[in-house]
Amino acid sequence: MPADGLVSQMRRGALEYCVMALIQHTPRYAFEVIEALGQTGMLTTEGTLYPLLSRLRRDGLVRTEWRESSDGPPRRYYELTPEGRRALTAFRSEWTSFRASVDGILQEGKKS
Amino acid sequence: MTAPHADQLIDGYLARLNAAAADLPKGARQELVDDVRAHIAEARAREPQETDATILNILDRLGAPATVVAEARERLGIQPSVPYRPGLLEIFALVLLLFMWPIGVVLLWISPAWRMRDKIIGTLLPPGGYWGLALGGIFFATAHAGGVCVITDAASQAFQSACQTPPGPSPLETILLVAAVIIIWVLPLITAGYLAIRLRWGRQPQPAMASLQMENS
Repeated sequence: MPADGLVSQMRRGALEYCVMALIQHTPRYAFEVIEALGQTGMLTTEGTLYPLLSRLRRDGLVRTEWRESSDGPPRRYYELTPEGRRALTAFRSEWTSFRASVDGILQEGKKS
Repeated sequence: MTAPHADQLIDGYLARLNAAAADLPKGARQELVDDVRAHIAEARAREPQETDATILNILDRLGAPATVVAEARERLGIQPSVPYRPGLLEIFALVLLLFMWPIGVVLLWISPAWRMRDKIIGTLLPPGGYWGLALGGIFFATAHAGGVCVITDAASQAFQSACQTPPGPSPLETILLVAAVIIIWVLPLITAGYLAIRLRWGRQPQPAMASLQMENS
């Protein structure tokens, strides 16, 4: 199916903003992010989240902090930076209008 | 403990991940392996009862090492090591390296089929140094010829008689001569052969076998 590649590319592109949205209010460690994404089908191979998180950190969109955990080794928590917040806000509005346009056109196509 | 192979399975996975990430920058590779190791520890802690099967499930959900590394390459903007197919360019490079060194060496550097180290070896060793060696040889020969004693002092007749006998090659000179012949004629072939081998074997893509071993273990 030709749309397969497109959809996976879209999912990939949107995933980084989904991850940023998940840590917007409370810092989380990677495993929590994976658990939160788990039910959505956004992340098919869990291992691929780690390169994404590294990338976000390199770009200065998230920062990390090690915290002790009561039941195991220390965990690395991810938290949005002000820059990450701006990027997420920009994406939200872009996405909303993008989704509205595509939905509108798809609905239009259905009617005719 | 009902997971007798837990450590073996996990170490195997991490080793394959590390191997697949060989072309990532060192820091990025280390971070990826550390992150995945922490992930596995975290996932294990959540399993109420650990068996080999739960370990395999954890590793399965992580994805094949090659998939994870491919993602890392893409996110870091690193070109995947595409299997470049050597062709005419490389053949010309090798042949011209032997017969028309300057052009050959340019082709050697243009071709993406050799790594930097091999390009430097190809440039510095004969035939790269062929002309340098040939010039050196000529220089050596003329210097040697000019070295025949020119002693006109009548008082040193004895010396002269010794000098006039053609200076037959001493053992040292013979060795040097043989070495020069080897360097000038044999080394270029060895260098070309080496480059030809590196050409074929140096750019093999990461073996895809790694992910298959999982099923067998």
